[in-house]
Amino acid sequence: MLIIGYLVVILGCGFIGLYKAAQIKKRPKEIREMINALSLLDTEIYWGLTPLPGAFALIKDRVDSPWKEFFGKLEEKINKGDSASKAWSASIAEVRKFACLEDEDWKVIATIGKNLGRADRNEEHKQLDLGQKHLALLHEKTKNQAELKAKMWSYLGFLAGFALVIVIM
Amino acid sequence: MKKNASPTSVVALDIGRWVAGPVEKVVQEGIKNISDKEIIEEIRLRINKPIMLRTNIREFFLPLKNPAGSNERTYVVTKEDLLTSLEKMTFSSIYAAEEGLRQGYLTLPGGHRVGLAGETVVEFGRIKTLKNISAINIRLAQQPEIDLADLLVSLLHKNKSFCHTLIASPPRAGKTTVLRQLIRLLSNGLPCIGLEGQVVGVVDERSEIAGMYQGVPSFDLGMRTDVLDRCPKALGIGILIRTMSPAVVAVDELGGVEDIEAVRDAIRCGVRVLATVHADSLEELKKREYLKDLLKTEAFERVVLLSRAYGPGTIEGVYDLDSGANLKPLTKVYNRTAGF
Repeated sequence: MLIIGYLVVILGCGFIGLYKAAQIKKRPKEIREMINALSLLDTEIYWGLTPLPGAFALIKDRVDSPWKEFFGKLEEKINKGDSASKAWSASIAEVRKFACLEDEDWKVIATIGKNLGRADRNEEHKQLDLGQKHLALLHEKTKNQAELKAKMWSYLGFLAGFALVIVIM
Repeated sequence: MKKNASPTSVVALDIGRWVAGPVEKVVQEGIKNISDKEIIEEIRLRINKPIMLRTNIREFFLPLKNPAGSNERTYVVTKEDLLTSLEKMTFSSIYAAEEGLRQGYLTLPGGHRVGLAGETVVEFGRIKTLKNISAINIRLAQQPEIDLADLLVSLLHKNKSFCHTLIASPPRAGKTTVLRQLIRLLSNGLPCIGLEGQVVGVVDERSEIAGMYQGVPSFDLGMRTDVLDRCPKALGIGILIRTMSPAVVAVDELGGVEDIEAVRDAIRCGVRVLATVHADSLEELKKREYLKDLLKTEAFERVVLLSRAYGPGTIEGVYDLDSGANLKPLTKVYNRTAGF
């Protein structure tokens, strides 16, 4: 019976470690997905002159969660009459808990929304380009760290489980 | 909303949602207090001035009861009100309205027109954009049913082919409404006078005729109508003739030599032309340098003169340019106060 209890502790900690590792691995993927979404938005604004709700409706069908929900909420809020900057920050607040990004990533994403929809297409293009470059830098940084960190967490979980069992014994 | 709100006040309440901030509440309240017999035509916002609402019979500034409820005061529009309203009207997408800003107008869903005034930014002699918007004029689009069968009869030859027709009227006299209805009649055909439907090509330079919003027309222009939206008339007429082979080409507000040349080309191609122009009278029309030739020579055969004598859409006369006769003396076409 005691052995089963020890096994539960080890597996529990191990799974926590694996979960954390999966979260870490997701971060660069989500940043990459956002860069792709901004590139699509840039195309819709610069070449298509598509109003934001229409552009967001197109993008939400081409990206995965959590950006799918993010752009869906943006579309809904702007159609209701909210300004783009207000809708952008409100959507970030709503989607944040479902994403694996960290504060520094959210800061860059939040900045992109501040002037969205308020300038001519050349200015919008510049702003979106700048936002993509910032995110690309973050992507490079997180991609290199993610593998190491993920490996560490996946071992750390089980090792912490073993350590806990030893202490209990 | 009032219990027995008229269809127009429903449209007006809908337009109220396009203004932002405190203005929205003031406008919605103002609209609710208008009688069912009145038809709201315009809502004007001017910086540091009260909101003005114009109906078919009067104009007034919108009051907002102060918290004490004793006196009434007018609400003064701020710069922020204009900016947030513009943001709302463009769905936070100013870049998508660049061309409209250049020309001083926007089109809202439903075909409503928003005229803009402010500071123009000029580059190489061409307006680049409009900034510091100081006035917004929202013109409500309505589609009153007008019986134009009689008018149409006077615009047909004996063999039922359509005469080259120019509709002339001063501003706000129903020029575009009459044009729209004629396009629909020509497109659908009118069995009671033996007129078969025909392909009509519309060059809608200012998105006023079809009220296109994101490719969807707000007004019914008939079953056989093709619309080239936001295209300069001088270019669009040729494109339509080459690509859609229309029997009739319709355009709004002829305004320059290029437009006239394009109309002349269309007439030479055997296409019937229906166009509008700003003018108070036939005499004034004939004085226009660029129109003189078209009126004198082979081109236009009929001129329909409109006024607001009995409300917008009053037909002052239909002139046969060959004989100079007035084929249809002054008649009351529809009375908007009566709710037609």
